Amino acid sequence: MTPNDKLFDVIIVGAGHAGCEAANATAKMGFKTLLLTIDFNNIAFMPCNPSLGGPAKANLVREVDALGGLMGRVADLAHLQFRELNTHKGPAVRALRAQMDKRRYQEIMQHFLEKEKLISLRQGEVVSLKRTGEYWRVIMSTGVQYETTAVILATGTFLRGLVHIGLHSFPSGPLGQHPANALSEFFQAEGLCFRRFKTGTPARVRKRSLNFSAMIEQPGDHLPYGFSYWIPWQEREQVSCWLTYTNASTHQIIRDNLDRAALFSGAITGVGPRYCPSIESKLINFPQKERHQVFIEPEARYTDEMYVSGASTSLDEEIQDIFLRTIPGLENVEIVRPGYAIEYDVIPSNLLTPSLALKDWPGVFFAGQINGSSGYEEAAAQGIMAGINAGLYLKGEEPFILRRDEAYIGVLIDDLVTKDTLEPYRIMTSRAEFRLSLRQENANHRLTDYGYKYGLISEEEYELFQAEKNRIQQAFDFLNHHHLSPDTPQAEALFKEKGVTVKKKTAFRELLRRPEISYSDFADPETHGLKQREIEVIENAIKYQGYLEREKKMADKLRKMEMKRIPPDFDYNQVPNLSTEAKEKLTNLRPVTLGQASRISGVSPADISAILIWLSRR
Amino acid sequence: MIDNDTISAISTAQGAGGIGIVRVSGKDAFKIGEKILRHPSGKPIQTWPERRVRLGIVVQTGQRVLDEVVFFTFKGPKSYTGEDILEIQGHGGMENLQLILAATLEAGARLAEPGEFTKRAFLNGRLDLAQAEAVIDLINAQTELAHRVAVNQLSGGLSQILHEIEGKLFKILVPIEAALDYPEEDIPPLEKEEALNIIRSVKAQIRTLIDQAERGRILQETATVVLAGRPNVGKSSLLNTLLNEERAIVTPIPGTTRDFVTETIDLQGLPLRIVDTAGLREIDDPIEKEGVNRSWELIKKADLILFIIDSTLGLSVEDRDFIKEIYQSVHRRKLLFVLNKSDLPAKINPTEVNSIYPDEKILSISALTREGIEELKQTIRSELMGEDFSPEHPILVTRLRHKKALEKTKELLAQVEDGLKSGISEDLIAFDLRDAIDSMGEITGRSVNEDIINAIFSQFCVGK
Ligand SMILES: Nc1nc2c(ncn2[C@@H]2O[C@H](COP(=O)(O)OP(=O)(O)OP(=O)(O)O)[C@@H](O)[C@H]2O)c(=O)[nH]1
Ligand SMILES: [Mg+2]
Repeated sequence: MTPNDKLFDVIIVGAGHAGCEAANATAKMGFKTLLLTIDFNNIAFMPCNPSLGGPAKANLVREVDALGGLMGRVADLAHLQFRELNTHKGPAVRALRAQMDKRRYQEIMQHFLEKEKLISLRQGEVVSLKRTGEYWRVIMSTGVQYETTAVILATGTFLRGLVHIGLHSFPSGPLGQHPANALSEFFQAEGLCFRRFKTGTPARVRKRSLNFSAMIEQPGDHLPYGFSYWIPWQEREQVSCWLTYTNASTHQIIRDNLDRAALFSGAITGVGPRYCPSIESKLINFPQKERHQVFIEPEARYTDEMYVSGASTSLDEEIQDIFLRTIPGLENVEIVRPGYAIEYDVIPSNLLTPSLALKDWPGVFFAGQINGSSGYEEAAAQGIMAGINAGLYLKGEEPFILRRDEAYIGVLIDDLVTKDTLEPYRIMTSRAEFRLSLRQENANHRLTDYGYKYGLISEEEYELFQAEKNRIQQAFDFLNHHHLSPDTPQAEALFKEKGVTVKKKTAFRELLRRPEISYSDFADPETHGLKQREIEVIENAIKYQGYLEREKKMADKLRKMEMKRIPPDFDYNQVPNLSTEAKEKLTNLRPVTLGQASRISGVSPADISAILIWLSRR
Repeated sequence: MIDNDTISAISTAQGAGGIGIVRVSGKDAFKIGEKILRHPSGKPIQTWPERRVRLGIVVQTGQRVLDEVVFFTFKGPKSYTGEDILEIQGHGGMENLQLILAATLEAGARLAEPGEFTKRAFLNGRLDLAQAEAVIDLINAQTELAHRVAVNQLSGGLSQILHEIEGKLFKILVPIEAALDYPEEDIPPLEKEEALNIIRSVKAQIRTLIDQAERGRILQETATVVLAGRPNVGKSSLLNTLLNEERAIVTPIPGTTRDFVTETIDLQGLPLRIVDTAGLREIDDPIEKEGVNRSWELIKKADLILFIIDSTLGLSVEDRDFIKEIYQSVHRRKLLFVLNKSDLPAKINPTEVNSIYPDEKILSISALTREGIEELKQTIRSELMGEDFSPEHPILVTRLRHKKALEKTKELLAQVEDGLKSGISEDLIAFDLRDAIDSMGEITGRSVNEDIINAIFSQFCVGK
């Protein structure tokens, strides 16, 4: 008999951004959760750049928040700076981006987790899993064993982590942490074939050694909101970032020393991301570019450590020192930690279901960077979904799968488990077919009902959301039922201020469709109790109505295909008329729905029809 | 029921003779029937009894008669697709069926995707085990396979042009997408004028493709040229001359040809079906009368009518009446006047005919001496294919489906153009551009989402 303190409903391996969200989710759903971390000092640690958000990523943060996750709240409480990007490029791509105080972020996240009675946080390295009856036995490197029904593996880049700095390489987790090799070996022995990915970071430098007068200051914006829907927004004293550029002599030094870069010496076999290229890759791929941006970003409020964003490198430590000094403002730079490249194990996408469960391993889920994604936001999004799905597994209920037209989370996970991802995956707005609908300001209207249904959103929070919905409904009523007639003082004022003429009696709502008109032209939003973000919800819904309807039509089409499920044991070889390529890919990836099958490259509409018809024989 | 729009397609194989079926499925199937079908008398159809074969005529909006047809209806959910179905059996020529199809589309149906009927049948739970077997084969023989063959053919011409167009549109789209996803990188802003120029040139390119579509159809399906005219004007003689063999019987007796004679010739790469018909006249003889009726049928369906006039007799009252009737009854009139027997003294010359029918082309030939035959051949060719046609520049758009997709692309590009001019935000411009590129993808079967992302990273140095 396993003693009660060793018995859990769910055990989460890894307390990074995926693991923390997963633990919060399972605990909120009422399950006794053990969150294991290989190093207790590194809960919710940001080993790469100290920022969250940006296009598509901000949407993920808001979506996680809308479902009841933690990332947005923690970010709001731990920010050093907030900016809003793409403000002139349309509402669909408007995006918050925030610099984080890394240390405070960890502290606050840890606090949120420790507050949860159902979460136990514990340091330790998992070495293997063992199926015993209906349970999993989780075996630690110290010999301790736990028993659980569900397991979520959120081990990030730790599995067989291999760090490269120049020609030196050594087994390591990110930033010198202990790697997890035993667990990787265990899975390999069980027949799971991992693939190798690579990512990298730049050097960290000492603030006192920099000359900011040679750089361009990048101050924050004063915004009426942060990420979270649930905690009152309070701007903290903002800290600036700094912009500077590489130049010809920087490039010369790097080129001359490419043989001392791990990336080009042949030491690295993993595949690196295109969207997070090292400075040496940038020079090789874009030789015509005369300079590259370098952002100097603070790592925390009370530290001298600064992150040299844009100069990620696997060059020899000595060369890093030399090339950084050619950059204006960095002439006397002192490196506190060198940049490095890290290789790690990634689970092939065809082994996972859309609920992030490992096929043929009941109750085992994977989330985060180990699934081939990159980025804190991507990890958090998978974490909360794996958490909810582990909870639903425990309850014996249907999994929770978000569609591509509902959330960036849906796009992210569908891509991860469907596409043969050959490099670390980053979410981008370009990946979303329904970009105009998946805006950052309306994530709660898209997802909070789910969060409430699964128990991640509390009653108080749900009341806040209902109140917002009521305010918005009232605003719509106001706009629908009030009209502007020609030759009234209000119409004249509108003409004077916006150059808009009203020819016949027109509803406010109709007028609001014009780009130059805003809600405040009809009423002071504050007297209607509307917050800035709520005004955006209203205005975007009206101004982009035509486009949103088009997206909805496209989405409906997709949904019909999505509804048609393919049995997990479906044998594609029995379907005649299926192209060989399609047979191979379908057998390999085992899509869950016809819609998913149709997105696999190499599977044609004709193939889909053939499967559809064959399915009906059953 | 899963789909709520109404779809329509030709559901018999291309090139199959006899009859062909246009099938309409969906909640508006009977409404569409009401719009395009009439009793043979021309009266509107009020009732739609199920599963009963009925005679009717198909009219286009504007009430022009397209074809005499047999039609029947099936009420959902007890139908093949599980939805209301209207099936129209028309005369087998692809051209004819395409017109009926076009009429259903005009009346509100959407062109079905390949296999969509079966898809619906399946989704509505209407496909049983035995049917499923049969349908797989059917689909592959007809729509799917035909579609694939088309795509393969495209690997030459059309896909190349579409690829080129896609490349041009990417030039606008990729910088927009890159800037949307990487606002902090120094990506040069969109050059509006340059973008507008690209859009305009692409639109012109697509317009040319669409214009060619009609010719493409003629090329693919073999155009029908009907030799018509009063008895004894030399129709059979002209057929023989064009064929270079004595195929049809020629005598000085009016009414020699009783039934029509069809032969296929190759006019420098352009396949043509030449039909010699019974001479047109009012007659009591039942056999010849039936022949004349058939002549009229053929005239109505011709891609090109050669109306032959005996120049030694001049333009008779009957000639004029027949021409008038052709004008009235033939919906897509392509007419060429041929004055035959130019080797004999003429009572009428082209200029005189021209003064009566100023819109028509008139040629003077002799079927006997071959005078003017080369010119006639050239004119037939240019009437059907346009002046600039040559087999080295093959027609690219041969399918109604492709034409539709291109028309949609063009429409969306017009929206992009408007958007650029009025300065709407770039996320919306990107939306329309993507939609336009996607609708070209309906032809090439390619989806470009991944390509856009690849292009962003190959063209811009982004990411930190
Ligand atoms: N001189 C001369 N005679 C011609 C010419 N073309 C046809 N004929 C003669 O005209 C007569 C009728 O020719 P057909 O070709 O049988 O005429 P058709 O129009 O087929 O007549 P039906 O079959 O009765 O409708 C024959 O005696 C031909 O030899 C021509 O170009 N020159
Ligand atoms: Mg004859």
